[in-house]
Amino acid sequence: MMDFDQLFVTRNWVGKPVRRNEDVRFVKGEGRYVDDLAMDCAQVAILRSIFAHARVKRIDVSRAAAMKGVLAVVTGPEVAGQTKPIAPRAITKPATQFVMASEKVRYVGEPIAAVVAEDRYLAEDALDLIDVDYEPLPAVVRIEDALRADAPLLFDEAASNVLLDDTLEHGDIKRAYQEADLVIKEKFHVHRYSSTPLENWAMIARHDKASDSFVVWANDQQPGRSVVNVCNTLQIPTNRFRLIVPDSGGGFGIKLAIWPYMVILCLLAKKVNKPVKWIQTRREHLLGGTHAPDCQVELELPMKKDGTILGLSMKDYENDGSFVHTAGIYGLIKFATLVGCYNIKATRAQMLSIATNKGPTVQNRGVGKPTMIFVLERAMDIAAKQLGLDPAEIRFRNFVQPEQMPYTTPSGEIYESGNYPECLRKALALSHYEELKKQQAEMRKQGRYLGIGISAGIEPGTSNLGYYYTSRGIPEYTGNAEGAIVGIDYDGNANVIVGSVDTGQGHATTIAQVVSDMLGISPERVSVDNQLDSLISPFLGHSGAYSNKFNDVDLGAVIRATEKIRNKMLTIAAHALQSDVADLKLNNGTIYSAKDNSKKVSFREIAALAYKKILYLPEGLEPGLKEIAYYKNPMAKLPNKENFNVQLTHSNSVHVVAVEVDVETGEIAFRKYVIVHDCGNQVNPAIVDGMTIGSTVHGIGGVLLEEFVYDEDGQLLTTTFMDYMKPVAAGLPQFELGHMYSPCPYTLLGTKSAGEGGAIGSLAAVANAVEDALSPFGVKVTSLPLSPEKVVRAIRETKVI
Amino acid sequence: MIPPQFEYFRPASLPEALALLSTYADDAKVLAGGQSLISLLKLRLANPKYLIDLGGIGGLNYIRKETDGQAERIAMGAMTTYAEIKGSSLLQSRCPLLPQTASVVGDVQVRNLGTLGGSLAHADPAGDMPAAILALGAELKAVGPKGERWIKAEDFFLGFYATALSPHEILTEIRVPLSAKRKSAYIKAARRPSDFALVGIAVCLEAGQGGTCERIAVGVTGVTDKPYRAKSLEAKLKGKKLDRETIEAAAPAVTEGVDVIGNIHASADFRSHLARVYLYRTIQAASQS
Ligand SMILES: Cc1cc2nc3c(=O)[nH]c(=O)nc-3n(C[C@H](O)[C@H](O)[C@H](O)COP(=O)(O)OP(=O)(O)OC[C@H]3O[C@@H](n4cnc5c(N)ncnc54)[C@H](O)[C@@H]3O)c2cc1C
Repeated sequence: MMDFDQLFVTRNWVGKPVRRNEDVRFVKGEGRYVDDLAMDCAQVAILRSIFAHARVKRIDVSRAAAMKGVLAVVTGPEVAGQTKPIAPRAITKPATQFVMASEKVRYVGEPIAAVVAEDRYLAEDALDLIDVDYEPLPAVVRIEDALRADAPLLFDEAASNVLLDDTLEHGDIKRAYQEADLVIKEKFHVHRYSSTPLENWAMIARHDKASDSFVVWANDQQPGRSVVNVCNTLQIPTNRFRLIVPDSGGGFGIKLAIWPYMVILCLLAKKVNKPVKWIQTRREHLLGGTHAPDCQVELELPMKKDGTILGLSMKDYENDGSFVHTAGIYGLIKFATLVGCYNIKATRAQMLSIATNKGPTVQNRGVGKPTMIFVLERAMDIAAKQLGLDPAEIRFRNFVQPEQMPYTTPSGEIYESGNYPECLRKALALSHYEELKKQQAEMRKQGRYLGIGISAGIEPGTSNLGYYYTSRGIPEYTGNAEGAIVGIDYDGNANVIVGSVDTGQGHATTIAQVVSDMLGISPERVSVDNQLDSLISPFLGHSGAYSNKFNDVDLGAVIRATEKIRNKMLTIAAHALQSDVADLKLNNGTIYSAKDNSKKVSFREIAALAYKKILYLPEGLEPGLKEIAYYKNPMAKLPNKENFNVQLTHSNSVHVVAVEVDVETGEIAFRKYVIVHDCGNQVNPAIVDGMTIGSTVHGIGGVLLEEFVYDEDGQLLTTTFMDYMKPVAAGLPQFELGHMYSPCPYTLLGTKSAGEGGAIGSLAAVANAVEDALSPFGVKVTSLPLSPEKVVRAIRETKVI
Repeated sequence: MIPPQFEYFRPASLPEALALLSTYADDAKVLAGGQSLISLLKLRLANPKYLIDLGGIGGLNYIRKETDGQAERIAMGAMTTYAEIKGSSLLQSRCPLLPQTASVVGDVQVRNLGTLGGSLAHADPAGDMPAAILALGAELKAVGPKGERWIKAEDFFLGFYATALSPHEILTEIRVPLSAKRKSAYIKAARRPSDFALVGIAVCLEAGQGGTCERIAVGVTGVTDKPYRAKSLEAKLKGKKLDRETIEAAAPAVTEGVDVIGNIHASADFRSHLARVYLYRTIQAASQS
């Protein structure tokens, strides 16, 4: 962390709840999303498989191609002939899949042909004229079906549906079992859900015949990697592909791998010699615009009678569906928070990535960490009950202590700062925990069932991208970094271009706050261009909006570039004022001498020297006022099975929830929701609060409502928002937030992640509260979501949800 | 929205609309608030070649009190929106079941556009208004090429999205008898406040001497292929004192003779269970109304 007295010349903006400067244009409908770009485009519609698993024996597109208004049709076999298969990142078994299905379809909704027509209506009509001969194969839907010895195979070449099976051991797990008084064992199941951003996927591709090169406009969340993937898949050099990302209406991870569709659009654009546009419909999005996998986790905690946990052993089956690119990631990333907030000295984790005929999975908000904290925090409550301890007490007995910071977990993850016991104490106080317990006892006497749930979680940020390759042993990406360009224009105003993109987090506002305090100008004088252009923006393979890297490496790059520009302006000013740089100060857009106030020069005058009157510049100094910088997190280790860190910052939070369960109808109503959150220093507390609440609502949706339901044939039954139920404002609790500020020593501003914590901590908190409410009935919660029907059935019959 | 191609008409009068409807017969659909039809077009689940928008016809949007000899009744135009029903002070004072039911349909946007006529003609098996209309013993006016006829609410709903209306008819008015003694309530079980009912129960009752129930009508929605009157249940409760034991003993009759549907939101068993629970709660609420 930097010395703020050195870093900032004013302290007017950083740390203040500055209002987001993006909002006005968004709420007025003045955003520039892909679909708003004024371009004369032909329109694309995609034919998708109606079977979960089938051989495609024949595709006849002749009637569609002959239809009036249709410009071109491509099919899977044609696309496969012109592209390389999708590159896997984490799985170790061979599995060949193309961006469009050719011989075989593996999920309902997989693209098998695409039509370009003069308008979208005609393109959709033409889809009805494509004849496909399918030979249906038995579908593999559930994890247990995929694992059967006689299970149909998704990928014959893999000879199994298990595409990754790796076990990593850290610390002396055998001893942990030997010394244990008891072992808590439970099997958990977490269903499939996702984020479904407001704007679905959207893209335009244009081909330039003369240079045989492509430009794509897309709402991509990880453009740095997409450029590599598209070029590799199309087998073209990088200088033939330019990617531009305009405004994006939400991401949450769900737009991290939209590049396979860019490949299809590039082929179509070339074919019709005209820009082509594809705007995904909500149904397409729900079918295959990616989910988080469902999973089954077997967890064991060997522990002492006093509640001390000695070790953790986990077997994690991830139903990764049918997308080889990201399969396997969810198991690996759990290492970022495998031991949660606890002093657990030994771990064993087996992770399996299982291919099934469910839709594709991609990293979704928290990526496996919500599940990890769910199973761990559920197991803590189960242990507490067995040992007769209060759920708060068993956590106090196991927390990593503040004096242990920075704390290294058995696998090598470094928790850089935090005070976990204090965070829980604060949350208990804020929620009036003891009062709640009294209220619970009172209400029970009246036949009302109040439950209290606690969850303590780690929220890691900034991925060390090498971790994906821990299993494969071949890192293509390691560490994490971002780039930024900061310039001063003719008027002495600042402008910033970053390599990342914004998917709603308010990056422009936050960047302007930091730059303003570094240069001593107001945020209105800092313009931030959120649009990424791979030809112009300072991007890296890491560039994008994911894993809460913004507060760390994105702002790091902005700070480094701003320092450079500030130094250059000081050098010019010193020359112009004939003073020492050491005597100069910045204030309100001018640089003046601390020794003699009358000696001053405005940014505008400095800009005039740099851009126009360049002969007045100091000897040897380059003209111009634009600086580029890249910044990488210093804590990333090289991937190595014995010792690795998956993520590079670690926030933490405690959720305390009270719910009332209607035991006749199974309905769950919130009575209290307290979150105490520690993400280190906050640049914009209002944005952090918004993220914390939004993210928690995402988790609540996952616990109570949202689920991708498949039938046994692999048909998705939830393809509209009528059936895939997002939470709505009515029915949500009033959130009470508390904050702690343990600065991160390894980020420039002492910041840590803020966008995923709610999604991580809320699952267990709500589940624990529901189980507590139902304790008079002896009900145990081991699976999600907690639908009213499951609740009633558990109360009356099964005793397990 | 990417629907299949259709031709759009916006007639200015009812005869004009009826003429269009008989010309294009089975290939045409009338459009009211669009809150069901537009979704179907969007998903290409409905494929009408002609769309006849009733929005240009004046005089189908009203809520008024009428008298017929001694009897008083409410008459409502088919194009009256949920929001108008919810906000009507006449209904709030004389027939509160209708505003109460309208206020739990969908969300604000749906209530501003969706219409009473559309709700009934669409006959969603989980529609809210049909349950209230059944419990109130309403009558529905259908106008067709051969003139007009009145259909009793209990004869109107025939099955999944099927009604007694012929494809050539337009629903124009809904009439509800008024009664000073009537107490009523509508409660629905739904996953979220804006969702369709898993189960919705509408109850109208009139108390007799000594706290017994003189008349009771129960409209049920969400349970089977159509909204219905639970007649055998009504027979079990009529003339009784409506205490918890009596209601619970009679409650299984709420789904008697009915093929209860199950789907991803609730199995048939759970729906039946909810119907019994909500029957009790709704009768309680009606008694206290
Ligand atoms: C997000 C959402 C949530 C919803 N939630 C609920 C809910 O909780 N409860 C509920 O009950 N409903 C709900 N609905 C449905 C809503 O109530 C619709 O408004 C209603 O089903 C149809 O009314 P409409 O006026 O919109 O008719 P339209 O959609 O225009 O038409 C529906 C059908 O009725 C026919 N029709 C319409 N008017 C007439 C007429 N006068 N004569 C003959 N035929 C006619 C049309 O041809 C069409 O077939 C919801 C809808 C949405 C979009």
